[in-house]
Amino acid sequence: MAKRINTPLTDDVVRTLKAGDNVLISGVIYTARDAAHKRLVALIEKGEELPMDVRGQVIYYVGPCPAKPGMAIGSAGPTTSGRMDPYAPILMENGLKGMIGKGRRSEAVRDAMVKHNAVYMAAIGGAGALLSKCVKAAELVAYEDLGPEAIRKLTVEDFPVVVVNDAHGNDLYEQGVKEYRKE
Amino acid sequence: MIMESKDLYSDIYDLVVKCCRDISPDVKRIIENAIEKESSPTARSMMQAMLDDVKLAQEKDKPLCQSPGFPAVYITFGDKVRPGNIKELFAKALVTATKNGYMRPSMVHPLTRKNPGDNSGERVPNFEFDYIPEQEFLDIILSFKGCGAELGNAMKVFTTAQLGKDYSGLKRFVLETVTKAGGVPCPPIALGIGIGGQMDVACRLSRRAVSTRRWDDTNPDCLYASLESELLQAINRLGIGPAGTGGDTTALAVKIEGSATHTAIAPVAINFHCWTARRAGIRIYPDGKREEIL
Repeated sequence: MAKRINTPLTDDVVRTLKAGDNVLISGVIYTARDAAHKRLVALIEKGEELPMDVRGQVIYYVGPCPAKPGMAIGSAGPTTSGRMDPYAPILMENGLKGMIGKGRRSEAVRDAMVKHNAVYMAAIGGAGALLSKCVKAAELVAYEDLGPEAIRKLTVEDFPVVVVNDAHGNDLYEQGVKEYRKE
Repeated sequence: MIMESKDLYSDIYDLVVKCCRDISPDVKRIIENAIEKESSPTARSMMQAMLDDVKLAQEKDKPLCQSPGFPAVYITFGDKVRPGNIKELFAKALVTATKNGYMRPSMVHPLTRKNPGDNSGERVPNFEFDYIPEQEFLDIILSFKGCGAELGNAMKVFTTAQLGKDYSGLKRFVLETVTKAGGVPCPPIALGIGIGGQMDVACRLSRRAVSTRRWDDTNPDCLYASLESELLQAINRLGIGPAGTGGDTTALAVKIEGSATHTAIAPVAINFHCWTARRAGIRIYPDGKREEIL
């Protein structure tokens, strides 16, 4: 059975999530890839205001396809999260509670999730058309010049993910692989 | 006969759109069979979601993945049918497909990262031409290979000693590379392995192996065939599973292509392909007859 959660995420909700949980997310999530992260972190370092309040929010690592007429968004599957590792801890320090992508995170990012009570969730890589069905609205927030890599505010309904790293230090990539590994 | 643009362009545009919306039928069958055998319920539902995604992409006439990957084109031609200005036609088809919403603009300058916004760019797509004078037909294969998969790739120039007894060194290199890549290359993956030549040759062969062959074929070379099947079984014991979250289905295929090399070296290149096997091919005969290949 999948757990249903709503964004923004409270600390209590984050604490209930466990590695391996199937989760359906509803509410607002923000898109950002490497280029946008670089700009966000530069703003934080300069002490300037971010284009959106990241407190309690979830960032989805995705560069969606342009929307066809009448659709909210084009295909929108996850990209490789590791590319955002250098930037993720500072965002969590500033209140980010969730990240969605694919693939393993660095030790620094995993430690930051425990320290700041945040979670990392994976969506199915490659299934961009299917995932886009859960996106009901998309709105440009910042960095239009980045094209598909701009920051967008997505309103999602029952967006399916699995918790990979919870705030208690568990890692599904380690647990799941161990369970099915044949020596 | 040299192919005229007006005769060839619609074939090429159709190949591009087909590769955005669909995966190869052989790979769909391999995934269906894997679902039957998979012991993890989560892994089974993930693979079913992958097949549903492909079906939805067809129904909605949209790309199955937000990333088109990087395009490579393999052309084999002889004196009877020559490819003409096929490079220009492919470049034009990619830009048009982008304008029509089938491809996200993803081609950038390698250093400045400037994105022209239409999937145009120097050496896009990548072409490999093979001239076989007596071949009667023209073969065109297009492959879009995702770039999360590319992040797992590895290359090593082995010495004879490092290859090890029964190629144990090579096998270890493959298994370590797959383990390290984990969920990044969008498993279940296929692996292309290029062996021989020098570094450039092994790398080119690794991409060709996984991009121009059906994933359910059998290598005509007995040694490569037995290595392919042994490595596939070994990879599927690693437990990585679909999306890397655990399961029996980590790889759908292992494909090896080889080339003679020098006594001093044994270059080995490992090339990951995500589950979205977006490839399509067409064969054109001198009388204009067309046939789907792959």
